[in-house]
Amino acid sequence: MIADNLPAFVIIVPLFVGVVLPVFARRLRLVEGLVVLAEAAGLAGAGFLAYIVFAQKGTDWVYQLGGWPAPWGIELTVNSLAVFFLLAVMAVSLPIALFTIGNLKEEVGGNRRTARFYTLFLLLVGALAGMALTNDLFNTYVLVEVATLSCCGLVSSRGTPRAAEAAFTYLILATLASSLVVIGIGFIYVITGHLNMGFASQGLAEVWQTKPHVVWLAISFVLVGFGLKSALFPLHVWLPDAHSSAPSPASAILSGLAVKGYMICLLKFLYVVFGPDLMKEFSVDRILVLAGMAAIICGAVMALPQDNLKRRLAFSTVSQVGYIYLGFGLMDENGLAGALFYLASHAAIKSALFLSAGAMISATGKKKISEMAGIGREMPLTAAAFTAASLGLIGIPMFSGFVGKWYLITGSLDTGDFLPTVIIIAGSVLCAAYLFPVIRVAWFESPQTANQENTAQLKGPGAAQKLALLMLMAVIFILGIVPGPFIALAKNAAAELLMFR
Amino acid sequence: MKTLLEKLIINYPYFFAMVLFAIGVLTVLTRSNLFKKLLGINIMGSAGYILFIAAGNIRGGTEPILHTSDPGAVYVNPLPSALMLTGIVVSVSVTAFALSLIIRLYKEYGTTDAQRIARMRNEVTESDSSDRR
Repeated sequence: MIADNLPAFVIIVPLFVGVVLPVFARRLRLVEGLVVLAEAAGLAGAGFLAYIVFAQKGTDWVYQLGGWPAPWGIELTVNSLAVFFLLAVMAVSLPIALFTIGNLKEEVGGNRRTARFYTLFLLLVGALAGMALTNDLFNTYVLVEVATLSCCGLVSSRGTPRAAEAAFTYLILATLASSLVVIGIGFIYVITGHLNMGFASQGLAEVWQTKPHVVWLAISFVLVGFGLKSALFPLHVWLPDAHSSAPSPASAILSGLAVKGYMICLLKFLYVVFGPDLMKEFSVDRILVLAGMAAIICGAVMALPQDNLKRRLAFSTVSQVGYIYLGFGLMDENGLAGALFYLASHAAIKSALFLSAGAMISATGKKKISEMAGIGREMPLTAAAFTAASLGLIGIPMFSGFVGKWYLITGSLDTGDFLPTVIIIAGSVLCAAYLFPVIRVAWFESPQTANQENTAQLKGPGAAQKLALLMLMAVIFILGIVPGPFIALAKNAAAELLMFR
Repeated sequence: MKTLLEKLIINYPYFFAMVLFAIGVLTVLTRSNLFKKLLGINIMGSAGYILFIAAGNIRGGTEPILHTSDPGAVYVNPLPSALMLTGIVVSVSVTAFALSLIIRLYKEYGTTDAQRIARMRNEVTESDSSDRR
């Protein structure tokens, strides 16, 4: 029964466990155990679905929720794209959940608040899994709303006025974006009469020539809506405050996965619903490439002057999101596969960066890079994780970022346009410019004398935290050294998206 | 070929939905009072409801219930209304959460004006950093 309904279970298990958690708020150990168990079950489910996709080569498993067939019911599609993102979500959120064990209570304060944090965390994971699988427009909107509200809750979970302010700004802009998306969906529904992605796509192919203005409006509403949610360059204003004022595990999942969920939604809307032909017709691909290039450069330049470590990482997310959008806009199999691979790789890297930064900040109580001199000697594993993730982000061979960038560059060369290639390499140099100083300060500068008193009571990461950092490092190295099966999956997904219709 | 004006008059619910949406977006982006921003969000939500429900409406249609006396009756498409019920639930939870955040901010700063809050917060962080020096 579980195997037959696995696509539904992958979504429902995190949602259900998340909702019942507050009942056990007094027994924090039990809550933590349940969270890790739900995450592990999700990862196992995602792995099994990936196995099914590999075994079935080429045919999608379409699961009908409640047994209602396609035009009326909601479909979950298990294809390469869904499985790829699902694996990324589960493989990255499991270490983040592990990292929170034992040290979250200090950061958010109190058992009940901790349990609520976990509720929001699992709701977000469930919604992200749903976004990967769903094949229904309105279902996508509902999942996006669940994810948005959980994200806002996670941002404000510290309860400080600064966090409340950041959460409010985020909530207002994210709800504005949701309204844009829902009106875009409304336009699609009005002209096609369908909410199922496949049927809506067929409908659009039939009517777009008679109603080009409505299609144009729908595309622009959806593009701006999801662009605002996933911090595409000119629309990124909310991100640095929201991601840097959240507790570190929340920053990790927000920057690593939540942003990516909206990007996957946009990818499905553009390629599956509107289709590559309409994208070219309305030159969405040009817009994505231009915005992506602007994001890579501007995000990195804005990250340079930040002295607050988490703010620097948050601006770096703005820059890295640009790479993925650039790949989405290339309309080329290699470029799109590279973008998907980069998306997974950045999810692991940025989570590792935020988690290790959080461990350093909570151990020393210092948030500024300039105050972290010599921390590598006191917390070798944490600093090593930070270094490995930084090298991955810059794109040194053997690390996962390199493979993604390689395919992105191949893709952009295939299209015969050299500017994206130049921008990708320039972005890597800028990335090195804002991350190497942190590594230099951490390893090669001797601690200031004032720090020496504190070093005695410096609290390093616990066993669970170390395991979590090791797992994320393992993901980064596995993606970098044996990328074969993952690239194959990403290429399958890219081919399916480009072939669609 | 219909003129633009005729098209607008025939499709007036969509026109009103877009006007409402524009009002909502303007309110959100130009007002600095947090309550007014929240009201703007709700106005935008209403625009979405009108759009969907107008799309489901059939002029002269009845409610979508099977009448044994008149089985061939034209009925209104119930799907958009059901969808908007979900939309309203989402909107209610967003409003509740935003209100709780506003209360939190009001308790801390004694105002609901975004610009004033930003100014007060900057003063606080500046004095913090000067203390540290």
